[in-house]
Amino acid sequence: MSDTVATVLVGIFGITGSLLMLASALAMFRVKDALSRINVFSPATGLGMPLIVVAAYIHTLHTEGFRVMTLFIAIIAILCLIIVSSVASNTLSRASVLSGQPIYRKTSPNRLAQPPEGIEDPAP
Amino acid sequence: MRRILHGISYVLYILWAIITGSATVVGHLFRVGRPYAHPMIVEVPLRCRTDLEVTLFASSITITPGTLVTAIAAGTATTPPVFFVHCLFEDSEEDALAGLYDMESRLLAMTRGRAPQSSASDVAEVEAAWVDPGPHNPSAEEERRGR
Repeated sequence: MSDTVATVLVGIFGITGSLLMLASALAMFRVKDALSRINVFSPATGLGMPLIVVAAYIHTLHTEGFRVMTLFIAIIAILCLIIVSSVASNTLSRASVLSGQPIYRKTSPNRLAQPPEGIEDPAP
Repeated sequence: MRRILHGISYVLYILWAIITGSATVVGHLFRVGRPYAHPMIVEVPLRCRTDLEVTLFASSITITPGTLVTAIAAGTATTPPVFFVHCLFEDSEEDALAGLYDMESRLLAMTRGRAPQSSASDVAEVEAAWVDPGPHNPSAEEERRGR
């Protein structure tokens, strides 16, 4: 792999990943409540960080040559980032609901608070 | 064999959903003068039956940017298990449910080898199709899965 190709690929993946992290951070300022913030954070963890790992792997591949172990580590890292961040977001969102965080008032419909039309909610 | 094919296509589908969802989250940043998002929490009765299916579906929903599982209600004798999903960028409740049921159909095609026959698309249909599996009845579970 020539120097140019490696540099360009590392640049593309690394910068795209970093920009996704930045965009997620900006999006977290644009939404109003805890649930939405957890929600718009997933581009960073689901796509941005794996892209940065890919960039790091390509860099290692270029400087140190191909090794099975590095490829294995990179694949495990990417899979774990996706799976762990998903489970973590689930846990965070359930924790924020159960701890009674306020939900943005314009959330509509909010099926946690109001039943669908035509259905009577039996008294708890 | 068909389950492996369905599994590969499901993984590709999830990756594509992550990419398009991220594009939506980023794209909406540049819409000036309009509200960034329309948050809503929709109720999704599930066709998933086993714990594995429910867990996989919850993780798939959450990893897709723009949708987030906020609460899970276990199934009872009369109602299926229910997710409460927080959606940010859907236009209406029907759109959100259609997208989620599409993902669920693909997931069930992976875990069961074929897509569920009831192409349920709204809440009432799923609730009507609910059959209580009973707490300890693995044979009925197998039978309903058609194997």
